[in-house]
Amino acid sequence: MKLSSIINKDCSKAAVLFNSKKRALEYISELASQHLPDHNAHEILDAFLTREKLGSTGIGKGIAIPHGRLKGIDSIFAILVTNQNSINFDAIDNRPVDILLAMLVPEGDNASHLKTLAEIAGKLNNKEFCKQLRQAPNDDALYQVIQLQD
Amino acid sequence: MSEIEDTFLIQNKCGLHARAATILAQLAQQFNATITLYQGDKEAPGDSVLALLMLESSHGKQIRVRCQGPDAEPALHAIGELIAQKFHEDE
Repeated sequence: MKLSSIINKDCSKAAVLFNSKKRALEYISELASQHLPDHNAHEILDAFLTREKLGSTGIGKGIAIPHGRLKGIDSIFAILVTNQNSINFDAIDNRPVDILLAMLVPEGDNASHLKTLAEIAGKLNNKEFCKQLRQAPNDDALYQVIQLQD
Repeated sequence: MSEIEDTFLIQNKCGLHARAATILAQLAQQFNATITLYQGDKEAPGDSVLALLMLESSHGKQIRVRCQGPDAEPALHAIGELIAQKFHEDE
């Protein structure tokens, strides 16, 4: 799977300035709602927060993969945001987070969800890729890093 | 140094998804042991969520867990229990 097949160019945002996890998820939800006409930002934020309540999606090494299930979408929709300053995300290793790969996934379909997660994890496990994501100075450069990885 | 391993069946409906992998990694970090999970030709350190996700362990897959170090035995036991208890998920 190509990352560029689930992340639109408009949905990769570099060096954004957030000061909290909540604010980051609000920003991502607002951005997602602009691309998913049947869902408003509030509903999307709810999906993310419902999942975060079960345990942080801060999976370590400065990376978080906030995600939630949404009714009525037929394929995975992702947003990649890098943050200028790392923020507290209650991550597993207590490290603050500066790479957020947010995903909205259709309800059901566990096997396909697991496969997508495995592929995304494979990319984020590449230190050089993460370094390039962090160094991308603007949205275009960030999207280029994503495309080059594909 | 003790080394011990066993194979477990992934029984929860969603498999080793993000939350399950995080719980497993948090558990693995509590022990003074090097924990490695194997599935087919893939392997992952037990304390890395990303690596665990890359195993793509779905419901019904067999996963081999190897623990090395002073806490090898309790670590293997705890991980086996977690998998058997379906990562505490309601299904």
